[in-house]
Amino acid sequence: MRNYPLAFAIASSAALILGGCTNESEESAAQSTPSGDGPVEIEFWYAFGDKIGENNEALVEEFNASQDEIVVNAHYQGDYADLHSQTQASVAAGNAPHVTLNEIASMGAFAEAGMTEDLTPYIENDDVDLDDFVEGLMGNSYVNDGIYGLPYLRSTPILYLNKTLLEEEGLDPEGPQTWEEFEQYSETLSNDEGRVGITLPVNVWFYEAFVKQSGGSVLNEDETEASFNEAPGVEAVDYIKGMYDSGSIKVPTGDEAGQIALQDFSNQQSAMAFSSTADLTNYMSIAEENGFELNTAFMPKNEQFGTPTGGANLVMISSHPEEEKTAAWEFIKWMTEPEQTITASQNTGYLPMRQSAIESDEMQALYEEVPQFKVAVDQLEYAGPRPLNANYSEAQNILRDAITSALIQEDVTTQEALDEATERINGLLN
Amino acid sequence: MSRWLERFRPYLMVAPAIIVFVLFFIYPIGYMIYLSFHEWDFISPDKQFVGLDNFAGLSEHPEFLKSLENTFVFTFFSVGITTVLALLLALWINRPTRFYGFVQGAVFSPHIISLVSIAMLWMWLMDPQYGLLNWGLEMFGLPQSEWLASPETALYSIILVAIWKSIGFNTLIIIAGLQSIPPHLYEAAALDQSSRFTSFAKITFPMISPTLFFLIIMNLIGSFQVFETIDIMTQGGPLQSTNTLVYYIYEYGFRFFQLGYASSAGVILLIVLSILTVLYFFLMSRRVHYQ
Repeated sequence: MRNYPLAFAIASSAALILGGCTNESEESAAQSTPSGDGPVEIEFWYAFGDKIGENNEALVEEFNASQDEIVVNAHYQGDYADLHSQTQASVAAGNAPHVTLNEIASMGAFAEAGMTEDLTPYIENDDVDLDDFVEGLMGNSYVNDGIYGLPYLRSTPILYLNKTLLEEEGLDPEGPQTWEEFEQYSETLSNDEGRVGITLPVNVWFYEAFVKQSGGSVLNEDETEASFNEAPGVEAVDYIKGMYDSGSIKVPTGDEAGQIALQDFSNQQSAMAFSSTADLTNYMSIAEENGFELNTAFMPKNEQFGTPTGGANLVMISSHPEEEKTAAWEFIKWMTEPEQTITASQNTGYLPMRQSAIESDEMQALYEEVPQFKVAVDQLEYAGPRPLNANYSEAQNILRDAITSALIQEDVTTQEALDEATERINGLLN
Repeated sequence: MSRWLERFRPYLMVAPAIIVFVLFFIYPIGYMIYLSFHEWDFISPDKQFVGLDNFAGLSEHPEFLKSLENTFVFTFFSVGITTVLALLLALWINRPTRFYGFVQGAVFSPHIISLVSIAMLWMWLMDPQYGLLNWGLEMFGLPQSEWLASPETALYSIILVAIWKSIGFNTLIIIAGLQSIPPHLYEAAALDQSSRFTSFAKITFPMISPTLFFLIIMNLIGSFQVFETIDIMTQGGPLQSTNTLVYYIYEYGFRFFQLGYASSAGVILLIVLSILTVLYFFLMSRRVHYQ
């Protein structure tokens, strides 16, 4: 019996370890049950830091100060892919945020898995004026006729131009209007010292734009089959390939490709760049630091102008008690009001979500003063949604690899690469 | 009462370890095997039983086969080169002077740096445009490399980082092995006028073979699980040229939310690692020389 206390200590510490777990889950359960008094606390998760993160934190602070019923805690979760996987895991683990962001091509995946809440009843109940939301931005909100998210930080890709270099080479600083002009610009702007017209990473988002400009689409209308191996999709790849083979553009591959494109533009090793309108404030400060003038323009047209929209919608996670969902809705409603969308747009370069915001004096004054802000808004006329199919994120990887191999591997033709990817993606879509 | 306690005391003593082991090793492995026969998106309450469909899917999925191939190439080169270099290095720097003591410390230092920092550092060095490595190559008039940016060189660039990271630790373990060889063996050999090569082949190598064997198996197991460098440096690209088994599992489980499918790839990894482990215990008892 001499060792009895020791054995007891071990047994009880084991019990403590196990007991610790139960206690914790009881605690978090207690936290999420509604209590009569005190404000309702909800969690809001977002992606991206820097100016975008600061903007999110500032808006949340303003919301918390504006009323005393709801307290929102905002948490940064990395990029979109990180945010999505964290959210997914947290729903499975039962400690999900109340409000989060869905990159617009992931709306379908989340809604169809039952993770996000159909906002239609809330919207109808509060008479939110849906017509005030910019039409081109609403496409990704609807999943099976329900509205699963409202546009929040949304963008389109635009063409950034180094105005100083364009003028040096005797080109119109307003930039190229058509694919043909774009090709001439690239040729004129590239020189023997390694400068190229554009450093263009392989990016499915841009590719969606090129296909749309050629009058096609990446997936068919019902999103049951891939259609990028038809003429417009092939033409888009061949167009890039032509410029790549002649050396007037650079196509970086690998994980850092986006970073390389930004570096080249900053160092004036490339004179043009495609990027999200959300990068506008960032590009403006880069141009200033490196002593060149920046201009923005539409992505050039082939058959027509065209671009997908991008960015994220605000969504509500469905696995919460009614009271907290009401609070979450209040927060979403507030975040998408005209004043807040104006603030967000000014802070970042993202688009204003509402017609009334675009027409507001504040935005009009900004467009007057910094016309580069206006290009993306004007381009919205030609903007459309991204695919919503739940397996599109996997399909994008296959498509990206197919485009890359068509561009850089000499023994693969564009048609072959795209046909093979089409076959594989068709298997995923159904 | 006391006899009851006497009988159960051993079980009580090992209980904490066993509980942790079951909770964090046995249960997850069992659950993974269970999931590998199901289709599940992480969220929906019902897991649909699909039998061997996931495994059939794996066998005809080009990315999976590529990731398997990459894992074997990575393992073969990183373990092979690390072991040979570490052995040579250990033989060279195993001397009791202050200078060699410093060298031993220096080669060991990568081992204590976080792999994440190392990966970021090497990405910098390997930058195709502004990296130090290409600058060095250019200075010596050698052709530059695309490093991580080209499907031809990316995997070998990652292998280079893996070797750099692990060589110091391997060297140190081999040195410890060398120093435990009783000096009288060498004295006897010297009396017999044996050549340096004979001494190495007949004394040194057999005496450190258990150490080498241990290192090789541990390195094999470690490199089959390579993940951090891939995640940070290439995310499996370009063109799947650096996708490895664990990264593939991560991508399908946590990016595409196909838990069942990812689990079936996890089962394949489990089988490979189990074979290695069994091989280790089996060979350990017969093939390797012990004094």
